[in-house]
Amino acid sequence: MTEPSISRDICLNDGTSLKSLVNTDTGRIARRIFSDPELFELEKAHIFRKAWCFLAHESEFSDVGDFVTRSLAGEPVVLIKDDQDQIRAFLNSCRHRGMRLCRTDDGNTSYLRCPYHGWSYGKDGTLVSVFAEGFYVEKFLKKDELGLIPVTKVETYKGLIFGTWDENAPSLSEFLGDMKFYIDMFVGRTNAGAEIVGTAQIWDSNANWKLLAENSCDNQHLHTAHGSVVQLGLLPPDPLMLAGGNLVDAGGGHILHLVPGPPDPFFEDLGLPFELRAEFPANLSEAQRSVAKRTSFSVGNVFPNLSFLHVMIQGDPETPPTPFLNFRVWEPLSATKTRIRSFVLVDRGASAEFRKRSFETYVRTFGPGGIFEQDDMENLEECTKVNSGLIAQRYPLHHAMSLHMEPVKDFPGPGNVWPTSFGETAQLAFYQHWQDCLLTGEQLELAA
Amino acid sequence: MKNQTRVFHGTPDYCRIVDWLYDEAYLLDHGRLQDWLELMAPEIDYRMPVRRAVVPKQGSGFDEESAFFADNLSSLKTKVERLSTDQAWSDQPVSLTRHMISNILVEKADGGFAVTSAFLITRVRADSPYDFFSGERHDLLKSVVDGLKLAKRTIFLDQTVLKSHNLSFFF
Repeated sequence: MTEPSISRDICLNDGTSLKSLVNTDTGRIARRIFSDPELFELEKAHIFRKAWCFLAHESEFSDVGDFVTRSLAGEPVVLIKDDQDQIRAFLNSCRHRGMRLCRTDDGNTSYLRCPYHGWSYGKDGTLVSVFAEGFYVEKFLKKDELGLIPVTKVETYKGLIFGTWDENAPSLSEFLGDMKFYIDMFVGRTNAGAEIVGTAQIWDSNANWKLLAENSCDNQHLHTAHGSVVQLGLLPPDPLMLAGGNLVDAGGGHILHLVPGPPDPFFEDLGLPFELRAEFPANLSEAQRSVAKRTSFSVGNVFPNLSFLHVMIQGDPETPPTPFLNFRVWEPLSATKTRIRSFVLVDRGASAEFRKRSFETYVRTFGPGGIFEQDDMENLEECTKVNSGLIAQRYPLHHAMSLHMEPVKDFPGPGNVWPTSFGETAQLAFYQHWQDCLLTGEQLELAA
Repeated sequence: MKNQTRVFHGTPDYCRIVDWLYDEAYLLDHGRLQDWLELMAPEIDYRMPVRRAVVPKQGSGFDEESAFFADNLSSLKTKVERLSTDQAWSDQPVSLTRHMISNILVEKADGGFAVTSAFLITRVRADSPYDFFSGERHDLLKSVVDGLKLAKRTIFLDQTVLKSHNLSFFF
């Protein structure tokens, strides 16, 4: 897929050029993009209502009628397993008065019944019955036209369920593009695939969603932001030891880094138990295995707002370094507030002991109670707050680390790949794509 | 709670336990975290399950496998040591917490006491929003030679969406 060419610029209400906000040649990002309500509305229109956004995981639905409630572009959606074992997704809103139908995080139901006047929908979204149907005539109650509003497209990749409101969206596979190569290493490497452990941690942060996404491809913050953990001896004391590995711009705004561990097979293949690694050859290509072999941990972001962490770490000195796999959605509530929905996944083929230790390692290090993430939230909330100032906004932010470096030619995986995990080139690729989405979207609107 | 095993308000054991809980809250609210760790039994299981928004027929909504805390003594020590470094940015400047503990119900249990208490914890820090946390703790307090030690604590928070950016303190 070639990126649409963006010839024209767009002016924001105050006359600022949209193209001036992101300068990938010099590595400068305008601070206003982290708090401006006008840009937030553009993001909703041209990113969140168009992109494929992560909604749920197949393992959340075991029985017919199982449902979960989520958000897509800021609007409530419900996903439910229908009688044909198909997972359907609908706007979580009754066609009568708009009432929210499902108001729990999850559950199991035969019908989706509105709490207001009792309109009831089948698991496939069809309007089955309305209250006091005898008081309507057919021409004023066309039930076949009053089904639930479906999420325009719903597709699944290796257990990950995505949805989009855009009928012109490319297939999910096309949208994920080269990122699939890397996603496979996390959720497509073992015979039985991965599943969610328990349920999501959900919390709110007063941070802009892009800062949260950007921080998911930022290996250079570890030594300072997590200095407390360095002091405890749970991260290497030499900051440059973390500079190894690669940064990847997989296209489409999808980015990640891949970082090796100490030279020991224990830290290769994402540090997974050897019995799980034995399943790699049946599921991953030779190139994917070659990338996995050199990787101990990897963090990245699937555009726009699905970050993943595959981190091998210790939550305390008595537990050996243990990998965990975490996906989190940064759901923007406003330009300066984000709801975080964070899931731990584990290979279905993992032992019960590993599953427990992997989950505990996540909880002790990440999430609101984790010794790493406590400090991440501190930085990202403060950046959001300070960057909203008009004096501050006269001066752009600086994203030029390793900007002089050329991508490597001989990497086994796809994308633009830089020869270090210390750099801001991948983050710039994220912001460039962000800007392209807004420009392309606005031009289409103007043309229409 | 059965009458046969209930330890009633006003009895010497009840008073001992209330004093223990107040002393613990005092240590937590005065930054005496090393002293707080001394109150833990070696097998301490310190956990806060994730709570889902559910209807009553689904039960309490607490998930059996997911958690905001899943700590043992080693990871609690790590958290305390982290807070004592000068780079724990979440708590630089320092967080001011107040643990208000009430509704204390005590029952005799194997080797000690099962104690339920309600909490209201406030947290204030620099110009950050005022944080409130309410909920219930289920403790297992073990009788040892020199008093009582906390062997298990499960924290049931009254929130399904955590309205706070971190949980960098102890409940």
